[in-house]
Amino acid sequence: MPSGGPPAVARNVALGGVLAVVAVLVVLPVLRLAAVLWWEGGDLHRILASAAVGEAARNTVLLAVGVTGAAVPIGVVMALTLRRPDLPGRTFWRVAVLAPLVVPDFVLGYSWTQAYARAGFTDTALGWHWAGLLGPRGVWLVLVVNAAPLVYLVVAVGLAARAEPDGELAARVSGAGRVTALRTVTLPLLGPAVAAASVLVFVLTLGTFAIPQVLGTPAGFSTLTTRIYAGLSIGGDPASFLEAVLLALVLVLVAAACVAPADALLGPRLRTTRPADVQAAQVVPGPAAMRRAQATGLAGYLFLTTALPLAALSLASVTRALGVAPTPANWSLEHFRQVLTPRTLEALGRSLTLSVVAASLLVLLGALVAVGERRRSGRAMGTLVVLTLVLPGSTLAVALLITYGRWLSGSLVLILLAYLAKLWAVAHRPIAGALDRLPADELFAARASGAGPLTAVRTVALRPMAPALLGAWLICFLTALHEVTMSSLLYGSGGETLAVVVLNAQELGRVGPSAALSVVLALLVAVPALALWWAARWARARGVARTAMSPREVPGVR
Amino acid sequence: MTVPSESVAEPDGKWRRRPAPAVPAAVALLLLAACGADSGATDVGTGRAEPITLYTCLSDQSIQPVIEAFEARPDGGQVDLFRAPTGELNARVAADARSGGLRADVVWGCDPLTVQAFVDQGLVGGWTPPGADTVPVEFRTRDYVGGHVLYMVAVHRTDTAAPRTWSDLAEDGYTSLAVPDPAVAASALGALGWFAAEPAYGVDFFERLRARGAVQVSTPDAVTTGVAQGIYDAGITIANSAYAAKEDGSPVDVVWPEPGAVAVYGPLALATGSADSDVAKSFISFVVSEEGQTVLGASGAYPTVPGVEGPTVPPGAPVVSPDWAAIAADKDAVLAEYQQVFGG
Repeated sequence: MPSGGPPAVARNVALGGVLAVVAVLVVLPVLRLAAVLWWEGGDLHRILASAAVGEAARNTVLLAVGVTGAAVPIGVVMALTLRRPDLPGRTFWRVAVLAPLVVPDFVLGYSWTQAYARAGFTDTALGWHWAGLLGPRGVWLVLVVNAAPLVYLVVAVGLAARAEPDGELAARVSGAGRVTALRTVTLPLLGPAVAAASVLVFVLTLGTFAIPQVLGTPAGFSTLTTRIYAGLSIGGDPASFLEAVLLALVLVLVAAACVAPADALLGPRLRTTRPADVQAAQVVPGPAAMRRAQATGLAGYLFLTTALPLAALSLASVTRALGVAPTPANWSLEHFRQVLTPRTLEALGRSLTLSVVAASLLVLLGALVAVGERRRSGRAMGTLVVLTLVLPGSTLAVALLITYGRWLSGSLVLILLAYLAKLWAVAHRPIAGALDRLPADELFAARASGAGPLTAVRTVALRPMAPALLGAWLICFLTALHEVTMSSLLYGSGGETLAVVVLNAQELGRVGPSAALSVVLALLVAVPALALWWAARWARARGVARTAMSPREVPGVR
Repeated sequence: MTVPSESVAEPDGKWRRRPAPAVPAAVALLLLAACGADSGATDVGTGRAEPITLYTCLSDQSIQPVIEAFEARPDGGQVDLFRAPTGELNARVAADARSGGLRADVVWGCDPLTVQAFVDQGLVGGWTPPGADTVPVEFRTRDYVGGHVLYMVAVHRTDTAAPRTWSDLAEDGYTSLAVPDPAVAASALGALGWFAAEPAYGVDFFERLRARGAVQVSTPDAVTTGVAQGIYDAGITIANSAYAAKEDGSPVDVVWPEPGAVAVYGPLALATGSADSDVAKSFISFVVSEEGQTVLGASGAYPTVPGVEGPTVPPGAPVVSPDWAAIAADKDAVLAEYQQVFGG
């Protein structure tokens, strides 16, 4: 390993700083929850020994295993398929697979019932509905569909940062078949990204609430999170509150028990050190028939799992009432009028500020943990930040209120801390999965060759890491933008976020305005993204034209 | 092995610190603190009293006009609002109680069980306004007074027969039914408590519903949504939710079945830490006054004071009130018996 490096004092100060933030955002809130149990006691043994809690715990773990087992392969296949530049309509598909990420969970659950449940789209059009949707199978499927885009994003980022097209080409030229090249070159390099995605999906599923609540409850399917919500909901009873806290800590322990060994055993083995240079070689093209089959398969999957439910959601946003035919005669912009008020626009500014600040800080914090966990003294950090990801939003908000409420109750700072605590692992894992592209030697070489600090970081560190950093930023930004559980519990007068204002304004949680909110959020994300994409494409085309005319005018072109 | 991002190597091999990550973080926090939540400043120089903080689960649509009317009164004052569903409200109160004390001056809950639990913890109670006797005795105690009422009613598809009594829901004609979860919604617990105590019903009523294919969803709103969507033929929900769906144009209708819609009142209670707050007391007094109840009724909530106009109540609609003290005492046993039927 390189002998050069920052002095020990600087390293220790840096590591200490990150550990201090881990303590503030993760350790102290979790310990405060544990302290509540310790001081207030309660019949903890009775709660843990109850058959209902046992069943909920079993359901939770099985669901997490089942969703991870299905969503990860689907996300990996999507990423590998969409990597091929020769895939027909690739740009469209790359955007389309991310669509579920802009829809809040509870709205997504509703969109599936509108599409596939009794009296839904398929029932009306084909006379067929899926009775299993309201039950464990439905919960599983919708969670898989919801998690697959996240896996896709993490693995695509991993591919962008870690793939070695030259290595694949060399394998193929040397006689390896397509599957052999995939198995022996591509997938092993993707190990960290796949591991990162698996941990994220597993932990997110352990802590998921809205979809089990919407789709599982009617079939009597309970999870630890639905029981936690019930404990917080009923009667303001201290015993129920203690039960909710206890179950939340059980979730934390389950997550720690599963993730810590995986991180300890798997993490170091998957790492390699490779040059920072992003290779420009193209992916080996496949036969036309295979490309068509891949595009058709992807289109079918996205039509059934994304297009149909989201079409139902979009129609619900313009249909005046639930249960009436979504035909033009029943269309109205009333739900949008309810969503777009001066109050919501003010809250929108607040939400955008919060989301941008949170996502930017999270990328920084995620990168710091990714770097710090490679040192012996910081190894546990990656596992620690998962603990607040698994806590249901309501319980995490309670933990932060108990810990910092004396000073920060009702302030946006507390909501920001909640976002940071909840999403830290979401930012950290994709970055950690791509960090092999940041060998220290090349950074030192750049500095030794006279590059300024910013130039060295920009040209050596940021370029290969850019996909991972952008991917992490995007996931955090989108999640924070429509987050409602924590902000609805933490906001103060005049500090409401967009989702809080919209959901508060809806007497009795009507679905139409919530659907309109999802459409507004989707447009809010899609319109600037499309504009940026267009601008980048235009700039690239202009650059290519200039290069073609006068190659010597472009720096670096010989 | 790897380079901490705080430092980079100088060409001479020395290390120079770059701005620590804490700096942008601190700037961001200051920015948010500056543009974010209410500063808590009082109307210094205007002679108006300190603002009060209200915690409530009443809908935004109903609470905002009440606050506006109160703030416009000579004896009024600024009301800082925290509004959330009952679960989040309970969680916030529980967290407050464990981090320095309740930060509300007035709590306006949506069911007596929740507010009674706050009384039992010493967080609220001990005072009701002098004019509280205009509120029926079943909607008040010595610690709190009912500000509004929720009515548990039946909602059904317009292409399905209307139930005349609660028992009708357990008869032929309904292939799918939805009931709210009493372990999640206090209004559902109130209804369960009433059915369980009523000799003609008991928890057996839910067994008969279950035998008819009834399913349990989370909240009364989820019942309304499912019936409006067509997933269920009928269900038990709250009147505001059912009428809202009907007024939107959903193909549903609302029935106040015999022997009566179950009334669940939302109590107002003064925080024990605000016993000296005149503004907080004025607010509670205003809500249960005729003027306050009229504003509330016009905003879509059912008033507690008789004779004040409110949302739709069919002529002669029967109403029953649960024995809240008995429900509080038997809650665990009744819930356990009920959960034998629907799980949970």
